[in-house]
Amino acid sequence: MLQTKGVALEVRLSAYIDGELGEAEKTELDALLASDEDARALLDKLKAGSAFGNGAFEDFLHDPVPLALVRQIKQGSGISPKSERVATANLPKRSAHIWPRIVAASTVLLLLGGVAGFILGSATNIAEPTRMANERSWLDEIAEYHHVYSRQREHLVEVPAAQGEKIETWLASSVGVTFRIPTLDGKGLTFEGARLLVVDGNPVAQLVYRDREGEIVAICFRKQAAAPPSGDFIETIRGDLGFVSWQRNGASFVIVGPSSNPALQDLAETAAAAI
Amino acid sequence: MRPAADTKDFRRDLVSMLPKLRRFAMTLTRNANDADDLVQEACERAIARSHLWSGEGRLESWIYAMTRNLWVDEVRKRKVRGGGGMVDIFEQDELNTEAAAEKAVYASQVQKMILSMPEGLASVFLLVNVEGYSYREAAEILGIPIGTVMSRLSTARLRLAAMLSENTERRA
Repeated sequence: MLQTKGVALEVRLSAYIDGELGEAEKTELDALLASDEDARALLDKLKAGSAFGNGAFEDFLHDPVPLALVRQIKQGSGISPKSERVATANLPKRSAHIWPRIVAASTVLLLLGGVAGFILGSATNIAEPTRMANERSWLDEIAEYHHVYSRQREHLVEVPAAQGEKIETWLASSVGVTFRIPTLDGKGLTFEGARLLVVDGNPVAQLVYRDREGEIVAICFRKQAAAPPSGDFIETIRGDLGFVSWQRNGASFVIVGPSSNPALQDLAETAAAAI
Repeated sequence: MRPAADTKDFRRDLVSMLPKLRRFAMTLTRNANDADDLVQEACERAIARSHLWSGEGRLESWIYAMTRNLWVDEVRKRKVRGGGGMVDIFEQDELNTEAAAEKAVYASQVQKMILSMPEGLASVFLLVNVEGYSYREAAEILGIPIGTVMSRLSTARLRLAAMLSENTERRA
């Protein structure tokens, strides 16, 4: 245990709060606090600072982490996180090394333009750009819905989790995709219920979960007969939201949650196996 | 050499630790750009040295200490390059709060206030008050004496209390 005799009272009281003092010093400070109003006020001030700081530091955990860094750690080398940052509306201006990035981006755009021109000019296959555009639109709309619904406290879902069977029947007939509600309790997600969304005039099912920190994670899916079957899980970051999408059995799926959640890919793989 | 499965587990642990590691890095660098670069470097080093991790104690402590060491090296390099340097917080005449707060451009207002605290305060507060490390553990991670942990912690708490009071008055 620490010896703090002779040091400033605020330092001693701070150690008192943390239980770092020996019994004798603790007893001494207990007696002081019982008789000295100023000492009590100082203790309250220290405690108020602790509580305020705790709340503020909690918020730091919700900042998005660099996606490329997550990938690099998961997969090993081969990706340079410095050139692939999380795209977020809240990102600061990044002054360092901006010109090389602009030149590189311009070069890529020039190349893409050339490739796109060749593709369009030869008119042999425009399905891929169209699919990519559709994918963008679908994720954008999911992101907008998620921003709105995830903030709803009392009306988070249309049909609550208790009516699981009803949700499966209702959404399967509405969306045209047969599914089971994945149980993700083992991954720290509690099923809250479901919603029916509309994207590009087509119905989209949304299964809503809440994680241990109260963050909302949702699985959205729609019928998409033209979607090529693929076992790939594609990770995307849009601002403060992360997405992992996949195609299966004539349907498109995407799991959406905070981009700071490093487990989205794992959740997507678990959900894909269970849905 | 670690078995492949262990390495995979280590990487997974590292990924799940990223938000906390980034938060710790922010308390050292006090701006997001440097924090992200520091986290990247720390992760690369941790993976390269994962065979040295004994598996005992908190992995976070090991990575935090590595992160702190990397940051001290970086500050030294900048000192050599720029002719300036890191001044001990208790030797500083004037607190460079505005510049630090400006750098924290994508933190919330309160986060900015936290990061505007003089160097060394936020990291001690984070480790002890938020993450529950003992004074001794925090001192080992940060490479400072326990007495410094104690004094920085009480200073941080009083500064945070003052920020809370300012915030309350501004809202009233």
